[in-house]
Formats: sequence, structure tokens, C-alpha cells
Amino acid sequence: MRPELKEYNLDWLFASTFSVAKYLANSSPGEMEYVYKYIPYVSKLLKPLLETGKPAITFLDLFGDYYTNIVNAKENGKKVVMTTFCFDPCIFYAVDNLLPVTLEIGTALTSLAWKRGSTDFMDYCTEIGFSETGCSSQRGAMGAYLAGLGAQIDLVALNMGGVCDTNANAYNFAAQYLDVPYYGLDYPSELTSDDVREYHHQDYRNLVRFIEEHTQCKFDIDKLREVLEEKRKQDDLMNEIEDMQRLIPSPVPGIFHIMIYAARYIYSGKKKFTKLLGEMVEIVRDNAKKGLSGLSNGVEKNRTFLVYIDNYSNGIALYEWFEKKGISHLGNILSRTFAETAPYTTGIPGTAYRIDTTNFDTMIDTLADINARMPMTRTIRGAYDAPNMWLDDTLSLAKIYGADCCIYLGTPGCRNTWSNIKLMARDLEAFGYPTYIAYGDSFDSRVETWETTEMRFEEFYNIRGLL
Amino acid sequence: MNSIFMEAATNLEISSIRKWKEKGGKIVGYTCSFMPVEIFHAADILPIRLRGINAHSMEISDSYYGPFVCSFPKAVIQLAGSGKYDFLDGVVLSNGCDTLRRMNDCWRKMGEDIKGALPSWFYYLDVPHKPDGHAFEWYVNQLKKLISAIEKQFNVQISEVKLNTAIKAQNEIRDLIWKIETLRRESPLKLTGSEAYAAIIAGTLMPVDEYKNHLNEFLNTILKRKGDRAEEKKKIFLGGSICDDFELIALIEKSDAVVVGENICFGIRNVKDRVSEANNPIQALTKKYLSTSVCPRMMGWYKQRAAMIIERIKHIKADGAIIQNIRFCDLHGTENGLLERDFEKNKIPSLRIEREYGPLTETGRLKMRVDAFIEQLKSADIKE
Amino acid sequence: MSIAAGFDVGSLSTKAVIIKQNKIAGSAIIKSGPKPVESADRVMAKLLDDTGITQGDIKRAVGTGYGREKIKFINHAISEISCHAKGAQFFVPSARTIIDIGGQDCKVIKLDQDGNIIKFITNDKCASGTGRFLDVMAKVMNIDVSELGKLSQKSTKPISFASICTVWAQADVIKHINSRRPAEDICAGINTAMANRVSMLTNAIKVEQDICMTGGVAKNQGVVKALSSILGCRIKKVKKADPQLIGAIGAALFAQEIL
Repeated sequence: MRPELKEYNLDWLFASTFSVAKYLANSSPGEMEYVYKYIPYVSKLLKPLLETGKPAITFLDLFGDYYTNIVNAKENGKKVVMTTFCFDPCIFYAVDNLLPVTLEIGTALTSLAWKRGSTDFMDYCTEIGFSETGCSSQRGAMGAYLAGLGAQIDLVALNMGGVCDTNANAYNFAAQYLDVPYYGLDYPSELTSDDVREYHHQDYRNLVRFIEEHTQCKFDIDKLREVLEEKRKQDDLMNEIEDMQRLIPSPVPGIFHIMIYAARYIYSGKKKFTKLLGEMVEIVRDNAKKGLSGLSNGVEKNRTFLVYIDNYSNGIALYEWFEKKGISHLGNILSRTFAETAPYTTGIPGTAYRIDTTNFDTMIDTLADINARMPMTRTIRGAYDAPNMWLDDTLSLAKIYGADCCIYLGTPGCRNTWSNIKLMARDLEAFGYPTYIAYGDSFDSRVETWETTEMRFEEFYNIRGLL
Repeated sequence: MNSIFMEAATNLEISSIRKWKEKGGKIVGYTCSFMPVEIFHAADILPIRLRGINAHSMEISDSYYGPFVCSFPKAVIQLAGSGKYDFLDGVVLSNGCDTLRRMNDCWRKMGEDIKGALPSWFYYLDVPHKPDGHAFEWYVNQLKKLISAIEKQFNVQISEVKLNTAIKAQNEIRDLIWKIETLRRESPLKLTGSEAYAAIIAGTLMPVDEYKNHLNEFLNTILKRKGDRAEEKKKIFLGGSICDDFELIALIEKSDAVVVGENICFGIRNVKDRVSEANNPIQALTKKYLSTSVCPRMMGWYKQRAAMIIERIKHIKADGAIIQNIRFCDLHGTENGLLERDFEKNKIPSLRIEREYGPLTETGRLKMRVDAFIEQLKSADIKE
Repeated sequence: MSIAAGFDVGSLSTKAVIIKQNKIAGSAIIKSGPKPVESADRVMAKLLDDTGITQGDIKRAVGTGYGREKIKFINHAISEISCHAKGAQFFVPSARTIIDIGGQDCKVIKLDQDGNIIKFITNDKCASGTGRFLDVMAKVMNIDVSELGKLSQKSTKPISFASICTVWAQADVIKHINSRRPAEDICAGINTAMANRVSMLTNAIKVEQDICMTGGVAKNQGVVKALSSILGCRIKKVKKADPQLIGAIGAALFAQEIL
């Protein structure tokens, strides 16, 4: 690892950058331009973000808070739990002395804001014995934490068993390497049967016991209720945006998607996320009322649905390219909540979750249900063509949102999707959706540079007459 | 080298499979060590472990599987698409790992394109990633569902009595294999790792009675040997990704070494590695197949696995360990990194290598590394 | 006077060395063909021609490299790892870590104070981090691979390469050539990319000084310099022999020991 990377902890860099960046709200345009000169790489993220107005400031504030709390965790007598993006952190916020750190968000942020992204940290993981072919989304931030360039990790808890080996394996490795306690939730391949629901509930109760044992803290029922009610509000706001996205043109600015899911994975159940969503809903409502597109140039030429994730390997380049081309981003697998109240849920029992805050048991069951329906834990746990799995969901969502085409972006580490994306693409094409499979790495531009990815996108959109 | 075992180790369709089919017997393939073979034996169905050997190209499987995935399930799909598994009356897939479980998706899609490639019965066994508690109960239920499905599909009855009989018979096999394992560690050495491994693999392709007879014959032959195998061969323990490919063991042994034990998804670990005959059979099967698994897919149980492997290596007095993973196998690829570190702490010399599966293995490159490792072990002797 | 010989059949070049009383008495290097046995025969012919000895003068021969067992005129086959360790120690007795970057392999070997190999790690993935990577890049630059090191010394603004993949890196090099970036900066970037890739192996094995490099790539000063910088210490040069010959020298030394 380059010696300069060892000067500062990664989470400290995020904490200080975002906590300070929010004050740019008070700057004049001239002052902002001046500041940007000194932050050539972070400005690539900040500029488009700040163009969104109030949501940007709340976003920066939220991330500043989040990372500052992690940096100060030990000092404040709190324990840090390493977790994954598909694990709803509500449960952690219901415990007084526990803070979650989500690796994938850290990895994505590093490549959104740094020139070389988190590649040094990824290579560090390989040097200490982790498989180089593992998913890059964990490897970036994980390398920092395992190198001691982040807050001390006290425990590891996640929910990818049965869904994503490479993810669960990464956290398992981290737990072994750091020699800290580990709990992994496990997911059978079905989603809706009573057996499976019971399995989720028992598994989750074991998780609760694990957390209590390792934090010496009992769950505060009132706090849990408060967090879940806050989440309910957040679901409603996200649902509203999802609903308005169906309009033509889509009134949702493309960059909102990443802002929403990035914040959701770390601050679900926290008030600042509700604030962020509220501010976004206002903007989208306003656009919708006026029949305006969320695209900055106002002209929607294409509506693209991303069947998996976005690309973060070269800053905000994906969103900027979409903006340039007049492509409305219809969200991706990470954008969906599968709350019962979402506009795309079907009412079929067991497919979505319901928030029930009646008592401790119902709340724990609710959280178990939520976790079982987080993006990957729902969609890629079973055969791709099984009911309520990847193909089903993609076709439904693509139809609901009026997609013109589909794009697959992922990482070479995704054993799961690479084992069936060709089948998916075949079926999507058969259903009339031109589908493009990108071979790059959403977190590591060394695999395929963004310039090459962009060139291939151009080719796809041109040849298929999509623009 | 026992020729019958050699045939089983290097071919898919061996004479006993042909004979079984000729007499009208049913054959069901399965993918991994979480499938209790006793269930099929109890139904008088021959279970065979799906293997990928002799897959010399991947153009069929590349149409379904994307890149960046383990070549083992790709090889199985390639063979299935080439008609090599057309003799199967069914397949039970389980989620050994993500790539293996997607064989469900790929094989079914291939069945739409290639007539006859998809067996008439295609079943998915959902194995939990935990060994106890609610996961134990889940697996018990999965086995019960599997039994009902087999009964329905093949019009058979799998009673508790039949299960107990099958368990007893399979335990006898395990006892015989354990005898082979102990003979492997004897000094002077009486058999090579290749011979032992071929004998172990053969059991995944043969009817129980036939296999038992061959094992007994094999044991008698070994016992009669005088132990004239070269003493200066280095003793190696092989761990890591599934290896149903006999050639890898043979390659290691060409470097003036003998493989005295493995942890590569076949065979048995120790004398206690059997199914209890005292309890309810399904509970007993669950205890053995799920709760005592040594697969890295059981996340959170690394320490126990590492301890077991290290204990085995010390017990069999191996001079060193070779831990390999098939390229893109993240489970073993990563666990091997942890094992390497723990082997070092326990003063066990180790070599960690990555390879492609089967005939596509780059043998020259592998051999160079194995040679160097054996030379390293030998020079350590000279130093002492 | 007993002559011991060592033969190293590599993917890009085949080398032969003879030793008399612990001194190198002759050597030969040829470009490898597709068949190792034929390459070995050809290098033997060149060796005999250059040195004037006959095949009968060679009392003991050790072969190393791919296809070593198939060479007809050798008495023993020993792995390149052992041979490179042996050869490097001959010239740098204080060496504890040897970085051998050949045509298609990259190996890092760690030795104890007695010169025994305690651990080694190799590149198992692909061409990047091997001589092949440099060959491909030199071809794109339309220069001889031996120029890569020399040119890079003049660089003031080395280019940073995004790709670790040899295939994609070619596109990057072409892009920089078309953008009229100075050749020396592109060469420096190529060398640094190579060194970065190798550093993953050195970091994994935790190198110890003294460190020395063997194999053809050790002749590229740019890579050596970049790697030195990453490792934070000087890499000791093998001064009295061509680093490309170290494997063959080690093989000859083993042959001498047996004699």
C-alpha cells in the first residue's frame, strides 16, 4: 500500500470531507469554483450532487454524521459492527451502543471521490490472503479496515448466506482475520412459503441474541418502534418517488437513485434520511406537476432500466453520461424496497413486507421480513426464473416504468449473476427489451476503463436505435 | 492400481452403471456432499456423483454460464449438453455454492435448446449454511420432502427400515474406506494416494454391494504388499476445492511425493465420520451430512474446520500441505488464505495454488510449483 | 576437468551455462521455439559451438523450466524456483528474497539465512506481472522490449495506467500514443504498472532484505527502479552475470554439486 494511504483512516477522510462539504451550501458560486480547484477529484462528485440543491446538503450532512459517529465510536463507548448493504441497519439503531459500518458504501464512495478509487485497499486484501476474484464491492473498504485504517471493528453481522457466497465469505474472512464474533443470517431459495418465513424469524431472533450478547445491551422496545415508524415514513416517501417515476417523462433526476439507496443502506430508520427523502419528493412532485423531465436538459430520449447495479468506478460518470444522452435512469435492483405499500408490489402474500409495530415479537418479525426482501436477498436467492425472483421482478419493473432497454452492470466477482445473466438477457430480449451486458467492474476501473464502457454503451444504444 | 477403481476414477459411464441400466435400474445424479446417498440406496436407485472429468472444451456451457465462474459446474453442464449424462433418470442439485446452484438455471435452459439434455426429474435440495438449531430442522424437512418426491417420481416406498438398512450398509463402506486411510499412513508405505483416491471416487459411481466387494479385494491386496514404496517420498496432505479429477493427485505424486490424505469433498475425515445407527434415520443423516460438514460454505465455522484439518495433518504426519482452489472459487480461494496463515502458525509447510478444473488444468505450471515445494521440503530435511 | 551444465527452457528464451570449478565457463541464449526439447537441442548446439567443448565433456547436466523432464541429455530436472534461488545466491550471498520475472511467470522466493527456500509465491492469474506484458506493450510502442527500461529513465511525468489487464492496457497505450504523450512517459507508466502488479506478490510474502531480481525483466531498469520505490529499499543487482541466465546458472551449480 502506498505510504500516503496510511496517513489517515478511510472513515475519518469521509467524516471530515462530508462534514465540511455541507457548508458549501453557504458559498457563492465563485467561492465554490475556487474550492473545486483544490479538490479535483472530490469535486467530480460534489458538483453534480450540489446541483440537486437541498437534498445534496442533507446527503452530505447525513454522511458526515454517519462517518463521524463511526470515527468517534470507541471514544463514545460504542461498538462498531461491520455489515453489508443488504442488511437493513434499523436493528442496529435500536441498540444504544452499536453503530453499523457498511463496507460496500465505503468502497463505492472511495471510487466516487478518489482518483484511484479503493484499488490499493483491494490489493491489500489479496496480499493478506483474500481471493482476488472475490467481489470488489467489499474488498475496497474491507482492505482499509483490515489494514487498521478505520474504526476498530467489534463484531460482524450480515445477511448474505444463501444469497451471495462471495459477500458472506468476505465478511467471514474479515471476522476471522480480525478475530471478532460473526453472525450470518441464512436464506433458503424460496421467498414466500410459511416454512421460509418461520426460518427467517428464528434466524433473526438468534441474531438479536447475538447482538445482545456482544454489546451487553438489551433492545429498547420504544426505540425500535420509533426506528420502524421512521422507516415506514421513509418507505412512503420512496414509494411516492417510485410512483411518479412511471410518468413520461420521468420527473426523477437520475442522481437521486444513488443518493437514495446509498443513504438508505446506512441510515434506514434515522430522521436525516427521512428529511433527505422529503426534500427529494418536493423536487420530483414539482417536476411532475409541470410535466418536466428529471434530466437537466429536459429532454427524455430513452428510459433505461438497470437490472443489477450502477457503475461507480469513475465518479458519477454513469449518471453524467445518461444526462448527456437524455437517458432517464429508472433505478436498479438496489432502488427497490418491496414494502407492501410500494407501487410495484402485487398483493401476493409473502412477496412484500409489512411493518407491524404492535409488540417486540411483531417488530422483530418485521425486521426479519424486511431483511429477507432487501434487494439481493430477495431477488437472487433462488432460480432466476422462479416466481418473484430476478426475471419476474425485472420484467414487471421494466414494464411498470416503461423501460426501453435494460443494462447489466456488475463486477467479475459476482458468481451469482454471472452464472445466469446470459439466460436473463436472452429472456429479456425475447420479451422485447434490448439488453446490454457490460463486462467491467462497477468498483474497479482497472478491469475496464470507463472510457471503454462508455464507448460500448454508445455502440449499443446506436446499433439498437435507442436514442 | 486396481483397474476397476481406475476405470471409475477416469470415466463417467463405467460397466457397473451400464449393467444397472440394463437390468432396468434407475440412476439419479447429485452434485455435492450434502446429498445423503442412503436415501437413494433405500429406494434401490443408484446415486452417482456428478463429475466434470473429460470435458475438453466449454463451448456449450459458455452459452449458459457467463465468464468469471468456476469451471467445475461448467464442465458438468458441458458433459450434460454433449449427451454424456443422458442415461440419468434424475438429478438432485443442491446449493453447494452459488455457481453450483445456478446449474439448476443453466441446465434447465440448456434442456430447452438441446433435446434430451434435461433429465426427466430435476430436483433442488435447499441446504442451509448453518449446522444447527432452526437450520437443522430445515434440513430434516428438506430430506423428508426429497423422500416424498422420490417416492412419487419413482413409485417406490422409502421406509425407516429401508433407510436404516441403507445407513448400515453405507457405514460398512465407510469403515472399509477408513481402513484404507489408516493403511495410507503406515510405514513402510503400501499404497499411493492415487490408488486410494481412485478407490474413494469409485464409491460414488457403484452399487453398494459391488463396491463393498471391490473394496474388500483391494484391502486384501494391499495387506499382502510388503511395503516396498520408496520411503523418501514426501507425504502431502491435499486440501481445497472439489477434486474429482484423479489427475491432480497423480500430478502431485509424480513429483516424488505421496498424497496421504485429502480434504477435497470426497472420502471420509476420521473414524467417527459415519451416520449414527442409534437414532431416527433422518435425524442421523442430518447430523452427519449437515452438522459435521467441512465445507467453507458453512460460514462462521472456519475455526472448527481449521482445527480439524490441522489435527488431521499432524495425525497422519504429513510433511506438508498443498491447498488448491479452482479459479473463481472464492470460498476455498479465501479459506486457503486463512489456512496458509494458520498452517504457518502450526509450523506446517504449505503451498497454495490456483488452477483450472480438469483437463484444462495447466499441468506444466502446476507441476513446477509442486516440484519446487517438494524440493523445499527436502532441503529442510537436509538442514535438519 | 569436470564440466557441469545447466539448461533453462523458458517460454521466451532457452539458456545454457557451463561451469568449471565454480566459475562460469560459457553460456548461450536462444529464442525458444514451441517445443522445449527442440529448443534445448538448439541451445546445446549453440553452446558447443560458442565454447568449443563437446557434449561428452559435460559430466553432469541439470535441466529446469517447462518441459525439463523431456530434455534428453540431462541427468536431473529441478524446478526453476530452486534454480533461481541457487543462482541468485551465488552472486548475492546475502539475498533473502529473490524476485524472478520471466516470460510467463513471476515468482517471489524467500530464503532463510542458510539459503534454503522457506516460502515462495507465484503469479497464478495471467500475463500481467510477467515479461509477456512488457513484450506486448513494447510491440504496441513499436520498440524493442530492451528499450522500455532505457527510455523510461528520461521520463518526467510517468503516465498512470488504469488497466491491470494486458489486453486492455494495449488500448490505453494506443490512446496515449495518439494523444502524443512522450514515449518516455508511456514507458515509465508501463514499467510502473508492471511493478505494481508484482508488488502484490511481494507484499503477500513480506519480503526481507537483501532483495535481488533475476529473469529477463531484471534488465529493465525502469521496472527495477519502480519496484525499489514500492518496496522502499534498494534491489541488489546481479552484476557479474546476465540476470536472464540465473536459472541456468543455478541448474549448473546443482549439477556441480552432484558431480
